[in-house]
Amino acid sequence: MKPASRTATRYWLGGAAIVAFAVVFLVPFAFVLVTAMKSQREAGLLEFSWPTEFAFLENLREALEARDYILIIAFINSTILTVSSVAIMVILAAMVGFVLQRRPSRWTGFINFLVLSGLIIPPAVVPTIWVLQGLGLFRTMPGLILVEVAYGLSFSILLFRAFIATVPRELDEAAIIDGAGPVRLFFRVVFPLLRPVAVTVIVVQSVVVFNDFTHPLYFLPGEQNATVQLTLYNFQSQYETQYNLLFTNILLITIPPLVMYLFFNRQIVAGMTAGAIKG
Amino acid sequence: MRKQTSPRRTLRLVALAAGAALALTGCSAGSLGSSGGGDGVSLTFLVGSNQSTVAAAESVAEAFMAQNPDITVNVETRPSGSEGDNIVKTRLATGDMADVFVYNSGSLFQAIGPEQNLTPLTDQPWVGSLEENFTRVVSVGDQLYGAPFGPQLTGAILYNKKIYADLGLEIPRTWDAFMANNAAIEAAGTVPVIQTYGDTYTSQLFVLGDFHNVAAAEPDFAERYTAGQAKFATSPAALKGWEHLQQLHDLGYYNEDFPTAKMEEGMRKLGEGEGAHYPMLTNGIPTLTQASPDGAKDIGIFPIPGDDPAKNGLTVWSPNGVYIPKTTEGEELEAAKKFEAFIASPAGCDAQSAGATPTGPYAVDGCTLPADVLPATTDFQSYIDAGTYSPALEFLSPIKGPALEQITVEVGSGIRPAADGAALYDEDVRKQALQLGLDGWQ
Repeated sequence: MKPASRTATRYWLGGAAIVAFAVVFLVPFAFVLVTAMKSQREAGLLEFSWPTEFAFLENLREALEARDYILIIAFINSTILTVSSVAIMVILAAMVGFVLQRRPSRWTGFINFLVLSGLIIPPAVVPTIWVLQGLGLFRTMPGLILVEVAYGLSFSILLFRAFIATVPRELDEAAIIDGAGPVRLFFRVVFPLLRPVAVTVIVVQSVVVFNDFTHPLYFLPGEQNATVQLTLYNFQSQYETQYNLLFTNILLITIPPLVMYLFFNRQIVAGMTAGAIKG
Repeated sequence: MRKQTSPRRTLRLVALAAGAALALTGCSAGSLGSSGGGDGVSLTFLVGSNQSTVAAAESVAEAFMAQNPDITVNVETRPSGSEGDNIVKTRLATGDMADVFVYNSGSLFQAIGPEQNLTPLTDQPWVGSLEENFTRVVSVGDQLYGAPFGPQLTGAILYNKKIYADLGLEIPRTWDAFMANNAAIEAAGTVPVIQTYGDTYTSQLFVLGDFHNVAAAEPDFAERYTAGQAKFATSPAALKGWEHLQQLHDLGYYNEDFPTAKMEEGMRKLGEGEGAHYPMLTNGIPTLTQASPDGAKDIGIFPIPGDDPAKNGLTVWSPNGVYIPKTTEGEELEAAKKFEAFIASPAGCDAQSAGATPTGPYAVDGCTLPADVLPATTDFQSYIDAGTYSPALEFLSPIKGPALEQITVEVGSGIRPAADGAALYDEDVRKQALQLGLDGWQ
């Protein structure tokens, strides 16, 4: 094949990929948007059409005011939950990844197995609640944060460990020769170098925690403890669904992850590939 | 040395963010709305998240608090459907249930372990005023555990009275008359029967709603079915519902988009007169009033027709129950019992009606329907008054196979013949019975 035609093929493929992504991601979003603007009756038809009457502001107000402004409480709860659990996850996972990568010992295999089992073994709800009750953490935000950290830690450790393999050991040694202790070594030298992968972990885990539905449902019951995903059930049920409010709610709670992605787009990709070079 | 300060600053920021987040978690999870109990007793009241259920619950709570200023009732919601089943079971198992909660009566009620988990209410004065079928479906042994919440339901055919008037049709009392009506409706260019398999549960109505006819033909069907002797595939009366489903599909009487349409769409078609019949539960009526506010006034109901016009009647589902878990104790228990008594009184019914227009009669003596109910609800009431109704099978027997809705979708879509579907469902029922450990199934 001649170089010119190869370039043409590449452009053509690239264009096709863009169209495919637009269909997969933008069309559903457009559907959410137009449905959120419709009146309840029109939204019930679930048609992909331009609204005949705009009810976006009313929908917005109703969705926010529903059940005593629970959506706002839910946003506060979700923010606290996401920020704290992801912060703990990043710091702990970086520490574990660092030690596992730099200090192989006969425990390494066993610890790796434990990390993997965190991914493999399915969690059980009732025993977890029993443990939380024993610790006095059930129905509390710190309890749920610990649960989220536990579920996300394994994956984060794997990412960090792979990335630390690419950080030259000489840097550690130089720091140690300069008299840095282990804590100083980690926080002053190693952790700042992990920025790309830390961003990846932050973004991926934030989306997971923010979008989590089942864990808040089971581990943090109570009206004042709702997180944003739980508010979807205000408008949706087996026999009656208010599609206009449901989609307004979806729109509102889709915005934070979307903004996150727009800002950190480049770092996410960079971090992903950086972690993927060495296994 | 600029390069070295920048990571340090980043680190400092991360540490700051983490520290701030940890400090924030020190305060309890969000507490914007002031739900403090004040001086009196405070009750939590857990209900399913249906819009009309929540509205009725909040209205009842308000009316109750107006009568009892020292008690506060906070309404809490949970998902409905199978996610809701899991929530209720989990919260009961972990001793974390709300002080008072609403849950299904009948076979689902049996599955939450009433004897271990719930406080019996048999000695309460209001028990005598309950509808007879209802007392049976919230009882285990000789103990009763709940008051009714919400109106009774029926699984019947919702029909468009306008189409019937235009074509000069009469309410069919036999299946043959129903089929004749369908033929006339199709000839007039309207869809005879609406089906909405986008919501799979709506496919079960021809089988479940036909139970009054089954019970009329074989009065001991429920007992023999529980004992493993009567089967859908071998009982001629019980097989009828399955055959009807297939027959209507084979004749092409369903709307074109029946495999994917959702209940909202079905209600809209019915209200706008695009379809004449829609077999559905009456708790779909609030959706009807939303989907087609004007059309809803033309909609009535009639029971699914059987063979014998003299024995035609409605199959009725009992309302949900309001239960008190064993974990509610002391003055909360006293308050909860007071609340139950209020719900099971005419004043409680009126408060529910004020929150959400009822779709059927209440299961408490002395309760009346408000004047603004829809014609479908009035039709329903007239069958109850005439006494031509019987409870649905799931209130007479603890067994209901979990795969029924999938199988009825298959039969209604012409994928599986009726007899085959009924036999498959019998197998599903057998598994459920074995799981429940019933006698006579090994």
